[in-house]
Amino acid sequence: MAPRMVDKKRKAPAAATPEPQSDDEFQDGVFEGALSQSESDDEDFEIAVSDDDDESESDGEGSGDDNGDEDDGFLSDDIPSDDEAISKGMKDVEITEPGVDPKVEEKEDENLGYKTEKDANGGIRYVYEEIDPVYDSDDSDAQGPENTIGDIPLSFYDSYPHIGYDINGKKIMRPAAGDALQNLLDSIEVPKGWTGLTDINTGNPLNLTDEELELVRRVQMGLVPGDLHDPYPDTVEYFTGIEEKMPLSSAPEPKRRFLPSKNEAKQIMKLVRAIREGRILPYKPPEERQREEEEQEEVHFDLWQNEEAQEPNPMHIPAPKLPPPGYDLSYNPPQEYLPTKEEREEWEKTDPEEREKEYVPQKYDALRKVPAWDDLVKSRFERCMDLYLAPRVRKNRLNIDPNSLLPKLPSPSELKPFPTVTQTIFRGHVGRVRSVAIDPSGTTVASGGDDGTVRVWELLTGRQIWSVKLSSDEPVNAVRWRPTKDSFILAAAAGEDVFLMIPSHASVTPTLDQASRDILAAGFGYATNGQQHGEPGKEPAAKWARPGARLEDEGVLIRITVRSQVKVINWHRRGDHFTTVSPSGQRSSVAIHTLSKHMTQIPFRKLSGLAQTAAFHPLRPLFFVATQRTIRCYDLQKLELVKVCQPGAKWISSFDIHPGGDNLIVGSYDKRLLWHDLDLSTRPYKTMRFHSEAIRTVRYHRGGLPLFADASDDGTVQIFHGKVPSDQLENPTIVPVKMLKGHKVVNKLGVLDLDWHPREPWCVSAGADGTIRLWM
Amino acid sequence: MEQPSSIAEHGAQVKVTFTTTEEDIQLPESKRQLLVPADIRRYGLSRILNSETMLDTGAAIPFDFLVNGSFLRTSLEDYLQGNGLSLETNLTLQYVRSLIPPTFEASFEHDDWVSAVDVLSATSAAGRWSADRFQHGQDRILSGSYDGLLRIWNASGQVIATSPSSGHGGHSASIKAARFLSSSQVASAGMDRTVKVWKYTESDHFTGELKPTLELYGHTGSIDSLEVDGASKRILTASADGSVGFWTTSKASAPEVDASLLPGASSTKRRKISSSVTAAQRGPLAMLVVHNAPATAAVFDPKDRTVAYSVSQDHTVRTLDLTTGLVVSTLTTSHPLLSLCAIPRASAPLLAAGTSARHVTLIDPRASATTTSVMTLRGHTNKVVSLAASPDNDYSLVSGAHDGTCMIWDLRSVRPATKDEGLGSVSEPAYIIERESRQGKKKAVAGDGCKVFSVVWDKLGIFSGGEDKKIQINKGRDVVA
Repeated sequence: MAPRMVDKKRKAPAAATPEPQSDDEFQDGVFEGALSQSESDDEDFEIAVSDDDDESESDGEGSGDDNGDEDDGFLSDDIPSDDEAISKGMKDVEITEPGVDPKVEEKEDENLGYKTEKDANGGIRYVYEEIDPVYDSDDSDAQGPENTIGDIPLSFYDSYPHIGYDINGKKIMRPAAGDALQNLLDSIEVPKGWTGLTDINTGNPLNLTDEELELVRRVQMGLVPGDLHDPYPDTVEYFTGIEEKMPLSSAPEPKRRFLPSKNEAKQIMKLVRAIREGRILPYKPPEERQREEEEQEEVHFDLWQNEEAQEPNPMHIPAPKLPPPGYDLSYNPPQEYLPTKEEREEWEKTDPEEREKEYVPQKYDALRKVPAWDDLVKSRFERCMDLYLAPRVRKNRLNIDPNSLLPKLPSPSELKPFPTVTQTIFRGHVGRVRSVAIDPSGTTVASGGDDGTVRVWELLTGRQIWSVKLSSDEPVNAVRWRPTKDSFILAAAAGEDVFLMIPSHASVTPTLDQASRDILAAGFGYATNGQQHGEPGKEPAAKWARPGARLEDEGVLIRITVRSQVKVINWHRRGDHFTTVSPSGQRSSVAIHTLSKHMTQIPFRKLSGLAQTAAFHPLRPLFFVATQRTIRCYDLQKLELVKVCQPGAKWISSFDIHPGGDNLIVGSYDKRLLWHDLDLSTRPYKTMRFHSEAIRTVRYHRGGLPLFADASDDGTVQIFHGKVPSDQLENPTIVPVKMLKGHKVVNKLGVLDLDWHPREPWCVSAGADGTIRLWM
Repeated sequence: MEQPSSIAEHGAQVKVTFTTTEEDIQLPESKRQLLVPADIRRYGLSRILNSETMLDTGAAIPFDFLVNGSFLRTSLEDYLQGNGLSLETNLTLQYVRSLIPPTFEASFEHDDWVSAVDVLSATSAAGRWSADRFQHGQDRILSGSYDGLLRIWNASGQVIATSPSSGHGGHSASIKAARFLSSSQVASAGMDRTVKVWKYTESDHFTGELKPTLELYGHTGSIDSLEVDGASKRILTASADGSVGFWTTSKASAPEVDASLLPGASSTKRRKISSSVTAAQRGPLAMLVVHNAPATAAVFDPKDRTVAYSVSQDHTVRTLDLTTGLVVSTLTTSHPLLSLCAIPRASAPLLAAGTSARHVTLIDPRASATTTSVMTLRGHTNKVVSLAASPDNDYSLVSGAHDGTCMIWDLRSVRPATKDEGLGSVSEPAYIIERESRQGKKKAVAGDGCKVFSVVWDKLGIFSGGEDKKIQINKGRDVVA
């Protein structure tokens, strides 16, 4: 079909246009033609050259064909192949060149490719050249000219030079039969692939090619025919991966390709947002990222860090338990619960808010007769008001370790010095030693005991240096030094008598002795001169007298006889007054004696309770009197009651006033030691119960050391550190530091009295075992 | 048990280095290091030192050995084991003349408590002061008693002389202190506030007489301590009135007495003292009212007799210049001080003061001293009321206390104080002398009945008097070498 189409086309332009050449050229090579067309108009030479090129090209192609089957060349000498025809034509052109107008001829030959011949009629006849359709040379199907004679025996053409016609209607010429010799030689020397047959189509001897022979062999061998058959061929790709350089389509690019994509913008915005929010992080090399992560400590957040422990249900507060209903709430209470008429009237009369009960028991025969509760609304209202006005509140219970509430007390070892051991034992008294006192200079000790003697001892050695027997039947109940250093006067009480004496042992200088005598004697003159107190007819409170020659020789210079047995002596700090207390003395139990006037006064006409002991305030003109339960403080100038302390003890045995004047210690027969802060309260600041028996004496140290001690019937003396701070706001520190054991308990009596050294932390104690002990 | 003996059998040896501070028994340099058997004890070591190759002493001197400040009382091996040391340790042994225990020698009975003791011997201070007048071998012991009598004893325990009673010129109250001024002069003082100077004469070696020659008045309280200097005839007293008295024994140079202090000065004196013997009455050279609590002791400086030291219950030690009567310096301690003795040292004396807090504190009185208390001697259980320095050396002393013991201290044996004892260094007694009268009895509570009131230390022995009414004599020579 293709060559025919070409033929038609060729004919048409050949007829229409004077330049069929261009068609030809076009036919041969579309591209070249298109290119050369512009040039061919002017220069013929050029065209010729280009034609030559064409020829040689096609020649090359043709020769390739020739090479494909050599036998063709051998067999068809007569029938020229296309190449031969062309080359013939060329030769013809060259041959005919001199005869014909070379220019025209040349033009025709070269441009048209056909020959003009004269036909029978003399007309020009165009004899065209064989057209080489230029089929693909590698088309294996196109094997030479096909004989188209059909299914007739070839022998029909035996008489003809040809053996049939090809598809184009051309005669297929009989191949030249070789000469006999050649045939013989051929038969003798059978060439390879010789079959002895003649090809029907061509009439040539049918020789098998090597491939065909191999095929035959394989068939014979029963192998797969044809080694062309590859059982494992390469995959033939349906779609090539080769990218084309030029688009296959020339369709214009659609507009949307030039518009920014909304979808993409959306996607980008998504990414941007993610970056901004930090969900996408810029890329970092993994090792760097890992390093950063390592650098960043792992942070753990404790969500429950500040969690406070909560009650399982803080809102739940159980209601207080109501008492169960009693009989009187019954609809049918026993008779005795029913109110009498008066009771009912009284109930009705009282204000509803003051009623003891909100109801009156009433009796009904049967439950069904109980009327409806008329106060329902009111009670509901009140209940609501209760809930609203007085909601239940959970009481916070203090959960405190009781040990933490104990005061931080210093250790006793830090509070040194204080007395710790017995250092001297004073022996000499027969029977109990009832009272003991260290003199103001701190060198001697005076004591009085059941044997009726007063003894004075050297403090450190325990040597008795003076003694006097005051009474043969009465014990010496109290001894007290006059608290000034300008004299050496001791007061002692035996029975109803109070003796004032100068225990003038050898160490007392005559001067001191004389000064003391003068002090004691001064009052005699007063007594004789100015008819002192006491209206005539009334018995004087006390009788001041000289005790008699025997005692006066010993140094006892004054005897004061009061109405009842004196148990306590206490001096005023200036030494002019002293007080005596005789607990059995009723009205006159407390007496104040004035030494310089030899005068005795009874300050209290009436005392509530039995006076136990009395003392002067160390700084101010106050006077303290202790009865069994209370301690009263009187102002001596204004003569009025200032204060009443109630230690809470059942029976006060003794008390002492702190040298600072604001604190008081009280000992009681019911084993209690009480510290009073006079400014603070009438009740004790501190109560201590460390003794197993009654406390006989309490005593502050008066030499500036923060010490006090108590003596008890259990035979011990307890030493306390009791520091009164100078700051009024602070509380005193009270620390028990030492229990001094040594005295024996005789007839349930232990230590009866004690006294402190005026300077050092030494104390002496008088025991019921007849000894006095010095502790330091 | 097997182990140590086997080591000993194999002859384990310890390398020791002998040192000493005593010049006369120094070892030559080459012989100081020695290998000795590990199981050797003090005796063995002492014999080694006494051997011919070492010290070559004619008569064997018993030695004691100090290792790290404590005396070696066990074998070397046990010491090393006890202190966790290996046998290869090089031990430094300081050898000192051995302490011979102060064995009891005699007791002299009295009628009352013995408050004061003094000795007259060739080596005692009084013996030196009396120089040639002292007859060798005629050692005398003076005791003052609470009955107000002075007694003079010979070494065999016989009373040679007794002072007259108060009616005849004697003390009217207890004697608290007494001293020999020389072989013929005695000073005593007591609770009657007077210092009496006695003339002591002996007709033969068995009878003598004490005659009061001088009564010195001036104190207004009991005189608790008396110190004499026989060379300058000066007396130093400390009284409970807080003053320190400075007196002379010469009648001529002593000032007149203050009449108000004389007995019988008050017209109403109940008892007239009719004294058959009249002694001159004199006053003090100086009455230094330096303490505001009872002064308990006063001593002369061992070198400079114009300087005195006094202690008091007011916790202070005062250095007094006797020529001007001024207080030079005051050292305050933490306890009341009851006794004092001066230990002579090269530069300045070391003061030992007994306290009511049951110890002896050693005080450097120099103003330049950085610490007041040099050392504390702990061991007594009651007030330390008497102290005496050793006559032989300057590193030992004896103390008498109300707990009924005398303790001998070697100041070279020192250990650092524990926390309870406070800072400083502490020494413990080398020997404890109990009262012979308490032998075999239960230990007295608070020294009840056996208090020691006075102790002196002479080469004759250690003499202590106390509440048991006895003077007890213990061996005193070479007790602390």
